[in-house]
Amino acid sequence: MNQNKANREETDQSKVDAILATEEELIPSSGFLGNVMENIRNEAAAPPPIPFPWKRAIPGILLAGGVFAWSAVVLFRYGLPPVSGIPLIQPQHLAALERPIEETGWVALALGISLLSWLLSHRLAGRSGLL
Amino acid sequence: MNPSISAEEDLADVTRVLAGDVQAFEGIVRRWQGPLVNMAWRYCRDRGRAEDLAQEAFLRAWRGLAGWRRESSFSTWFFALAANVFRSELKRFPAVNLPLDAIAEPSTPAVQLNTLSKKLSNEAVRRSVLSLPLRYREPVILFYFHEMDLSRAAATMRLPEGTMKARLSRARALLRRRFPHLEAEHQEMEFAALNQGKEA
Repeated sequence: MNQNKANREETDQSKVDAILATEEELIPSSGFLGNVMENIRNEAAAPPPIPFPWKRAIPGILLAGGVFAWSAVVLFRYGLPPVSGIPLIQPQHLAALERPIEETGWVALALGISLLSWLLSHRLAGRSGLL
Repeated sequence: MNPSISAEEDLADVTRVLAGDVQAFEGIVRRWQGPLVNMAWRYCRDRGRAEDLAQEAFLRAWRGLAGWRRESSFSTWFFALAANVFRSELKRFPAVNLPLDAIAEPSTPAVQLNTLSKKLSNEAVRRSVLSLPLRYREPVILFYFHEMDLSRAAATMRLPEGTMKARLSRARALLRRRFPHLEAEHQEMEFAALNQGKEA
């Protein structure tokens, strides 16, 4: 019985094989080669893509990072409510962390302000044709 | 096509293209346009769309030619790239196809004797491949495109041969379930063979 089923599946399989393997061959249209080569030539003649302006973007990214870090610090210091009476960090650890975090915040703020002032002066100088 | 000659020609053309000779790409297009359009046809069964897909694959190959590391043959790299292009393009704009159960079963054994009906029936089986779930559809397309060479089909899909074999087997089972006339024909053949045996 099982042998019979196996034989049948084999025959069906060979039928499916025969049908799917005998596909009529398509011949590409006469203009296909020309079209492809035209597209390739156009692509080759096109100017290279404009690279991402990393030089201009880096100050912005740094500024955004600074603001994000500063916000995180502020949130950490003032914003986190205690979870059902269990403090997230032990008080002695918190006291030890408080001072460096505050200092980091000030440093980030100072960096952000200097970056802003640099950007502003750069823009002003650019407008007046000094750069 | 002699594969070794083609491989040498491919290598020579790729080297020239990478050196800046745009025209050398024509040799690649000339050699591979037929197989690529036929491969695309099996993915969508729409002639116009097949040419568009093939053209897109040539463009991507042109852009990514420097990425061919020559560890595998050019054809393996190229077919894998083309399969990727076809897959993503057809995900964006799927080929119009019917669900597997909605494909008409066009046959009664008597009508099957007619050549035209047989042709239609075979075409229904071929079209039904497009209705298979994607994970089974592509192995079937590539296996038969590569003339039932499992390792080449697996290389094109970048899948292990075992996985490819399992998916193929499942796909065939789905097709057999959809086209019971294949089984009916088999039963007829068995019956005829039995009768012949008795007469002898």
